[in-house]
Amino acid sequence: MSELLDVRQISGGYQKNKPVLHNVSFSVHPNEMVGLIGLNGAGKSTTIKHILGLMEPHEGQVRILGKTMAENKTDYRQNLAYIPETPLLYEEMTLWEHLELTAMAYGLEKEVFEVRANRLLKEFRMTKMAKWFPSHFSKGMRQKVMIMSAFLIRPSIYIADEPFVGLDPIGIKSFLDRMLELREEGCGILMSTHILATAEKYCDRFLFLHQGKIILQGTMDELQAQAKMPGADLDDIYVEMTKEDRHD
Amino acid sequence: MTNAELWDKRRSDYWTMAVRYLRLIGNSGFLFTIYLLFVFGSYYYGQFLQWLPETFPAVIFFTLVFTWLTTRGRVRTFFKQGDLIFLTPLEGKLSAYIRSSIRYSWMMETFWLTLSMLILAPLFFDRLSETGTSFILILLLLSGLKLWNLAAGFEEQRVLDRKQYTNHTFLRAGLNAVAVYALFSQQPWWLFAFIAGALIIFYIGYYRAIARTYSLKWERLVEIENQTVMTFYRVANSFTDVPSLKSKIRFRRWLNPLYNLVSFEQKNVYKYMFARSFFRANDYFGIFLRLTIIGGLFISIVELDWGRWLVAALFAYMTALQIETLKNHYDTSQMVDLYPLQTENKQAGHKFWIVFLGIIQSLIFGITASLTYGAGQGLIILALSLAVYSYHLMVRLPKKYETLSRS
Repeated sequence: MSELLDVRQISGGYQKNKPVLHNVSFSVHPNEMVGLIGLNGAGKSTTIKHILGLMEPHEGQVRILGKTMAENKTDYRQNLAYIPETPLLYEEMTLWEHLELTAMAYGLEKEVFEVRANRLLKEFRMTKMAKWFPSHFSKGMRQKVMIMSAFLIRPSIYIADEPFVGLDPIGIKSFLDRMLELREEGCGILMSTHILATAEKYCDRFLFLHQGKIILQGTMDELQAQAKMPGADLDDIYVEMTKEDRHD
Repeated sequence: MTNAELWDKRRSDYWTMAVRYLRLIGNSGFLFTIYLLFVFGSYYYGQFLQWLPETFPAVIFFTLVFTWLTTRGRVRTFFKQGDLIFLTPLEGKLSAYIRSSIRYSWMMETFWLTLSMLILAPLFFDRLSETGTSFILILLLLSGLKLWNLAAGFEEQRVLDRKQYTNHTFLRAGLNAVAVYALFSQQPWWLFAFIAGALIIFYIGYYRAIARTYSLKWERLVEIENQTVMTFYRVANSFTDVPSLKSKIRFRRWLNPLYNLVSFEQKNVYKYMFARSFFRANDYFGIFLRLTIIGGLFISIVELDWGRWLVAALFAYMTALQIETLKNHYDTSQMVDLYPLQTENKQAGHKFWIVFLGIIQSLIFGITASLTYGAGQGLIILALSLAVYSYHLMVRLPKKYETLSRS
């Protein structure tokens, strides 16, 4: 299969007469990490919500492994893990219970779950906190719970919305190392972020989303060529591309 | 907007919200329950007073109750989280706002004092005094004492140190105890005048000095305000769903073995979640426990057969209504929407716990009745409670689920 995630010409938003996204198309292939980049309010979260199936597009389709959500809802969701921008935890469950619940929801075997969960806890230095409730967690620890839950289920495609916010440097490193590992194994990753230096270092391709449209996409070389800025870094290209309308 | 206008707006916003909930409470059969309690209550109250020995220390009892009532409670300011940033620069100009807050809290607290006095009135007339004049006079003086406490308590809030802050509260409790005791033991009037004078001088000499030295402790005021609102929400929540209720999680580790009832399987995901929300969140479990205990208590003391049956059915029904709200617990959670699961799983998970808890409660009711009124009564009560739960499961719930999946 060539595409893990295929977003085809979607227009959508909260109100039918005021679309936020205009004819957005892109795809994510196996062994690929794609950076979704845009200003606040550019439509990144709306794009992600359409992919997750929390919103239906007015036009166009989103396919995961070639299937839309309408064709098979549970299969669609089974292949997808989401790391939200703000950690969404159940206040009444411990860290271990969050992992256990996620494993149950995605149909993991108990033994497989335990091996993976212990490994993840160790890697993210959370073993001691396994029996803690979220009220005792800092922002970064909460984010780690979301990240561990996503890694636990090993889907084909990961959607990460600003995953670094609140993480400590070691947390960021563990996260990125794991992402690279998964990419080697054939997963696809779509990551939205404002930290362009990190994105430049790790992502294979980039999508520039601006006012609900994709204004540029491609690898670093392709971006430089399209923007006619050879050798420029991601920051410079991005600032240049969104410059014009900051004056009007 | 002047700060007096701001205060008026805050108060009316709160009451618009509160009235909406009060109307729901009124419609929920609550009034009927109160009426029932009133009927049973007044019957047993008279008996209780006759049974109460002559040696019962009524003065001490009243002193304890009203010392607590006058000491507790703080000034409601209607401050919000955002005020920490937007109102703090105006701190020096807020005296009208604060005066309104004290006046408002005084009114509300006087209402509670009056209500408590009315509930205890039969005891009062039976043991302390037979004249209505002294009843009203004591009530007025109590209300005055409450005003003093609110004003002093407000200045006290400026003391940051937790320990000193509590010590101040204890100090007030001590002074209140003396004053309240003097009231209920009906000392001569000049003693009241003396106590009142002393309290006023103490307020001016000491609490005003605190007010001059220390600034308002905004975070504490917001916390007090939040607690007041939460108390209201919690009460309202026993009758209807309060969406903005974010109550504390109670860990209740001793209940952990119960979670083993749910095995590690994909179809049990909702069973797993509802178990934790029921026993730890929003105090579903606390309400279940209270209704079961109070229900059991009524079942063991009501001597009329049909009265007891009615109580069992009523309490089982109220409990079932409470557990029903559990189904909405995860409605606002986005992660749940992403799980690869069918909605039938959710209903099955919810039903599992209603059945489980219904059986537990029916057994408790049944056993209580059989211990006090014999095995026959026990069986009737057991059957009745189970019938109420079955009605709930088979008739009410399917309709509820239907409206749920349509929306």
